[in-house]
Amino acid sequence: MLYLEDIRTFYGEIEALKGLTLEARKGEVTCVLGPNGAGKTTTMFTIAGILKPRTGTLFLEDENLTHVSAQSRVRKGIALVPENRLIFPQMTIAENLDTGALSRPLKDAGIQEDILKMYERFPRLHERKEQMAGTLSGGEQQMLAIARALMAKPKILLMDEPSLGLAPLIVKEIFNIIRQLNEEGVTILLVEQNAKMALTVADHVYLIEQGKVTFNGNPSEIHQDEVIRRAYLGSEVS
Amino acid sequence: MITDFVQNCIDGIMVGSGYSLLALGFTLVFGVLKRLNLSYGPSIMLGAYVGTWSFLNIADNIWLVLLTTICATVVIGIYVEQLCFRAVSKETTIASMVSSFAIWMQLEEIALHLLPERTYPFPAFFDSGLLEFGPFTARSEYLFMFVVMLLLLLILHAFIYRTRIGLAIRAYSDHPSASAYMGIDGSSVLFLAFIIVSIIGGIAGFLILSADSQITPFFGLWATFKGLIAMMLGGIGSLSGAVLGGLILGVIEANAFWYGDPVIRDISSFMLLFTMLIIRPGGIFGHKIEIHQKIASERV
Ligand SMILES: Nc1ncnc2c1ncn2[C@@H]1O[C@H](COP(=O)(O)OP(=O)(O)OP(=O)(O)O)[C@@H](O)[C@H]1O
Ligand SMILES: [Mg+2]
Repeated sequence: MLYLEDIRTFYGEIEALKGLTLEARKGEVTCVLGPNGAGKTTTMFTIAGILKPRTGTLFLEDENLTHVSAQSRVRKGIALVPENRLIFPQMTIAENLDTGALSRPLKDAGIQEDILKMYERFPRLHERKEQMAGTLSGGEQQMLAIARALMAKPKILLMDEPSLGLAPLIVKEIFNIIRQLNEEGVTILLVEQNAKMALTVADHVYLIEQGKVTFNGNPSEIHQDEVIRRAYLGSEVS
Repeated sequence: MITDFVQNCIDGIMVGSGYSLLALGFTLVFGVLKRLNLSYGPSIMLGAYVGTWSFLNIADNIWLVLLTTICATVVIGIYVEQLCFRAVSKETTIASMVSSFAIWMQLEEIALHLLPERTYPFPAFFDSGLLEFGPFTARSEYLFMFVVMLLLLLILHAFIYRTRIGLAIRAYSDHPSASAYMGIDGSSVLFLAFIIVSIIGGIAGFLILSADSQITPFFGLWATFKGLIAMMLGGIGSLSGAVLGGLILGVIEANAFWYGDPVIRDISSFMLLFTMLIIRPGGIFGHKIEIHQKIASERV
């Protein structure tokens, strides 16, 4: 569904992605693991079109999106749940959901229906729909960020560390949502620090270190690799 | 006695509706961009100069003056946007303010080259008439300005809070980078905001000046003072606050003029702002806005 080939992204003269090649298959959860500063967020931004790669190509299905703007990419079906959530703090939950649908055509009659679906999926957002999003708890904000991205009806959902800074119970809830979305057929590209949880939902795993893919396989393979297991899962996991 | 006071308040509201119009433009730029556009008043002044120029040189037609004033203000607004706001990065708020101040000087200079005399006539929209309501009176052109101001407030409010474009503008103002992830094009939002604000400015300049029937280069400074004070009274970023701030400023000035003199009137607006900043620094509606922002930023 999504292909990145030999992507090199720079911040000024700093090369953050050094020839990254990655694929997210339709209907799967593709998980990207890696230490701090590896280039995970940079990868997400490059896919979303916020950052422009210096070389390399990006395809969504059969369409070359390498030179397409961030705005058009949202319209073409790439939605981002950003790191740190970044909801609109001074707008209500209902309005935050509306912003997610801005990329859809005005005449799209399904928007209202989809908002109701979001409230069904996230009852806590429904209870607070007229409340300002900035007053939500961290977990609720994360749910709002996910719901907002889903309002764009994306072909692929990019999630950048959705478990960041959340209590274990909420993290479990977030991963249940990811699993549920995937069962409903949503294609997901997930960046995570919480490798243990991530591996429970992943169909395919990439490991990125210093802007390069250093491992690429399915979750069972990562369990077999002694070095990676030590580094990312701790030694107690077998 | 009481009749005088009520009449003063009516006069104040009439004149104040001009301040409200100016404050609407200031508060919109500030609310959306979180940056102060100091060249807004002078932009309106120059736009109105172009209007007067067309009146003197092309045709004695009030609709032509209205149209040229608005169009010129929009063109100047785009120029300011490109030079002071688009080109200057988001992190350097002060740079935008300083460069917009520099543009102020430039705009005044252009106005002086366009029409070198100190004062020019500005055509009236319709023949001035005194309307009587029992013991009270109001001038028709001011009453018209008041009605237009209220209409603009309603239209703006509906636009910002009821349309998709308004939603995109608010999302951008709330969190510029997050709005980019939603597929909102920040530079289009900026551009559009400047066009809307310039149209309001053109209408404000036209109505105020045609009620005054003359224009001088000082109008830029005057508009900046009145607009900024009214905006700060009402609470920065609030549309209805801007309108209320303008009306209150007008009422206080009218009474200060009646019971005192022109000097006391001018001092009164500064005293009012001063008192307001001490007892309620956020402005009348600003308190609510401030609390919202505080709660919001603590959590995010
Ligand atoms: N705006 C920037 N300017 C310069 N360098 C940057 C910028 N943003 C990121 N970098 C650098 O690019 C590299 C990759 O950063 P990135 O944010 O993609 O890492 P990450 O894998 O998401 O890390 P984390 O797990 O901490 O979120 C880092 O070395 C970082 O210092
Ligand atoms: Mg990151």
